[in-house]
Amino acid sequence: MPKRTLDPLPSAAFQILLALVGEDLHGYAIMRQVAEQTGNRIRLGPGTLYSSIRSLLENGLIEELDSQEDTGSGDERRRYYRLSSAGRKLARAEAQRLAEVLRVARAKKILRGRYV
Amino acid sequence: MSEKLYAWLLRLYPAHFREDYGEEALRLFRDRARDERGFFPRFRLWLDLFFDFTISLPREYFHVPAPRVAPLVPRRVYGFPTLFVLEDASPRPSALAIGGLLSLFTLTTCWASLYGVHGREIASASRFAGVPNDYQSSHSEPRSTAPSAAAPDASHATTRPGALDSPQRKRIVDSAIANLKEHYFDRDAAQKMADALAMHEKRGDYDTVADPAAFAALVTQHIREVSPDRHLSFDYFQEPLPPQPTEQAAQVSPQYREAMKQQNCTFEKVELLSHNIGYLKLNSFPDPEVCRVAAMAAMTYVNHADAVIFDLRDNRGGSPEMVQLFGAYLFDHPEYWYNPRENTTEQSWTRSPVPGSELADKPVFVLTSARTASGAEQFSYDLKMLKRATLVGETTAGAAHSGTFHRLDDHFGIGIPEVKAINPYSSDDWAEVGVEPDVKVSAPSALDVALKLARARTTKK
Repeated sequence: MPKRTLDPLPSAAFQILLALVGEDLHGYAIMRQVAEQTGNRIRLGPGTLYSSIRSLLENGLIEELDSQEDTGSGDERRRYYRLSSAGRKLARAEAQRLAEVLRVARAKKILRGRYV
Repeated sequence: MSEKLYAWLLRLYPAHFREDYGEEALRLFRDRARDERGFFPRFRLWLDLFFDFTISLPREYFHVPAPRVAPLVPRRVYGFPTLFVLEDASPRPSALAIGGLLSLFTLTTCWASLYGVHGREIASASRFAGVPNDYQSSHSEPRSTAPSAAAPDASHATTRPGALDSPQRKRIVDSAIANLKEHYFDRDAAQKMADALAMHEKRGDYDTVADPAAFAALVTQHIREVSPDRHLSFDYFQEPLPPQPTEQAAQVSPQYREAMKQQNCTFEKVELLSHNIGYLKLNSFPDPEVCRVAAMAAMTYVNHADAVIFDLRDNRGGSPEMVQLFGAYLFDHPEYWYNPRENTTEQSWTRSPVPGSELADKPVFVLTSARTASGAEQFSYDLKMLKRATLVGETTAGAAHSGTFHRLDDHFGIGIPEVKAINPYSSDDWAEVGVEPDVKVSAPSALDVALKLARARTTKK
């Protein structure tokens, strides 16, 4: 069964994994969290968001929780997602890979400024 | 308004995506539209959506969703058959088309082989009385006189008629008229039938009937209007008929001999059941030339039984001589044995008593079904009329086939009775109406019912 491969991990998928670290979120909350953690640089549209969510579900990196009452907007039932241990592991590995990239970039001095 | 537009745009996604996330996507749009008001945020929202579409649409169309039933797979109950869904993606259109064509082809082939060949073969084989002294049973007698599937004549394969044209119809009707005049036992009636057919033909009554089966039905109707002889039949055969059999074809073929040897002369069971009840399951009445000894052995085996059951539920007929041979064991004096195909001669009496037969005064039961046909119906009919047996089961098929078959062309034939047999019992025999059983029960339960009756009869004695 040809599932969409997550190797290399697409940026959107990685951001979603990061957004789910620490708390279970529904789709719109994930989108806002991703926008927030990327300085509004990545605003996931519905197509990209749910297509990524499905790939992550299929690969066992996140789990869907039983739908819950949305505390924010009344009676609507929303689907919430939680990071799985495999997802956490993959997010960590991806972060380490990026850190390694960053280390090389620093060594090559292509980065300017003090904040990185 | 914008939500409606987005809902409409969502339709661009493939069905599996819409099913799984259409609702969620719409809700996300609603949430964003609620939170991002004003010209610039709204413009940014639509820009995001535009990019979202360009990226995710192609991706969704190339994506094959994973099987949703995957978690069900390990749930296996031992000892029960289980089904696993390995692929829940919709099949490709080309696969569907190929599958559809294949099924259509298979169905057509099955249908053609079942009805086109087999069904017609049964009809034509059993009606085919090229040998006057012989019923043709359809499934157990691979004789060369019958148009069997085993020996199709390739030269006829191309002459299958679709619609009939006027000259064809005229030729067939003329040929039928000639045969009736020449062969039908009652010259006056033959002349009347011939005149009627000629009149209908001349009047153009057949001009509108292009369908061969409908044509055969109409001609039959016209013949019956003049002469209600149910033994006279005008038939259409979808499969081409073999050439008219020659005298040599009347000989028993080596194939037939071999087939009978392998099938124990179609005597499926010859047993003594509890309460000393003899049981013979005869699936045809084979030619005595080949099976006389087997038949005598079978009757000898049940000779000391207190009652005898003849199971003819799967018997499609066969040789009238064999029918009479079995009948002979059941009488202590010669009995008139009615055969609709034969003139009354000294052969029309059973050769009773059969030396050594103990069965002449024993109760006899005959099991019948709607498949019981031809010679098997003669056996049932005669024993019933002679009040010698109790018939248990269903009304029989109603195949008398007393006419001698004459081939009119590749697809039409006429069965013409050449003699008028004396029926001492009634003006009608079982032709087309079948033989009514004395005890009407479904064929599968006939044996049980007959056994009960036989036990009751034998213990009473």
